[in-house]
Amino acid sequence: MKRFILAFIAAYIFIFFWGWLLNGVFLKDVYAQTPNLWRPQSEMMSLFHWIIIGQALIVFAFVMIYASGFAGGGVMAGIRLGVLLEIAAIGMRLGFYAVQPFPGKLILYGSASGLIEMIIVGAIVGAIYKPAPARTA
Amino acid sequence: MNWKKFFFAFIAAFGFMFLFGFLWYAKLMHGAHQEVPILWRTEADFGNHFSSLVFGHVVMAFFLTLLYARFVPAGGAGVCATLGILVALIYAGADLITFAVQPLTAKILCGWIAGHLIQFTIAGAMIGAIYKTDSRMTT
Repeated sequence: MKRFILAFIAAYIFIFFWGWLLNGVFLKDVYAQTPNLWRPQSEMMSLFHWIIIGQALIVFAFVMIYASGFAGGGVMAGIRLGVLLEIAAIGMRLGFYAVQPFPGKLILYGSASGLIEMIIVGAIVGAIYKPAPARTA
Repeated sequence: MNWKKFFFAFIAAFGFMFLFGFLWYAKLMHGAHQEVPILWRTEADFGNHFSSLVFGHVVMAFFLTLLYARFVPAGGAGVCATLGILVALIYAGADLITFAVQPLTAKILCGWIAGHLIQFTIAGAMIGAIYKTDSRMTT
């Protein structure tokens, strides 16, 4: 349980700062190309708690999958889990691209950064948490 | 890995996810989505990007099937449905973040979260049920 909490906190801190750096700094100009798709800054700030809860839910579910023994153990197992989950999420992102008028480069940058993010999250969780043996049934 | 079972599981997952997506998001939630029309492509523009929707579902179904086949090699509907719920929670987290940054309504948020939970749980159970038998003999 202690390792679970440590892995959750470490991965959450990373994901929070990565999200801020990527979306709040690096991709700021790309987001500015489609202002009508986003809430105004003040409105986003008033809903900021949903970002925190959403990120916590993502990290919690990731650590739960890892801790349930589905992924096996170790840093490489964490990275493999992160890669598979993120590539599936890229599929979802492509679906959103089909229905929402996002710039193509936002999908490209978002997917590339998402992959890096989940690889690092997987490595963090894999390094900190020592799971039970993998489930077989 | 049993590639024949994997292929059938992938096809089933793709078929289900695409059909469910159409019924849930495009039909059932159509009215809710129309409350914020500025967020969506026009019909014609959507038609031009339809291939992205299909390819996105192919990618999603393929890698989810790979996830289940890799991490639950013995298969089984129950275990894979459980993994599906956990995967759905990741997407639910992403939905909450999207709600904070895009002008979605609470109705859309709830619909997306419920949709993801149903979609990934059933898809997981289907993959687990199809991938089950032979993989037990080969692992």
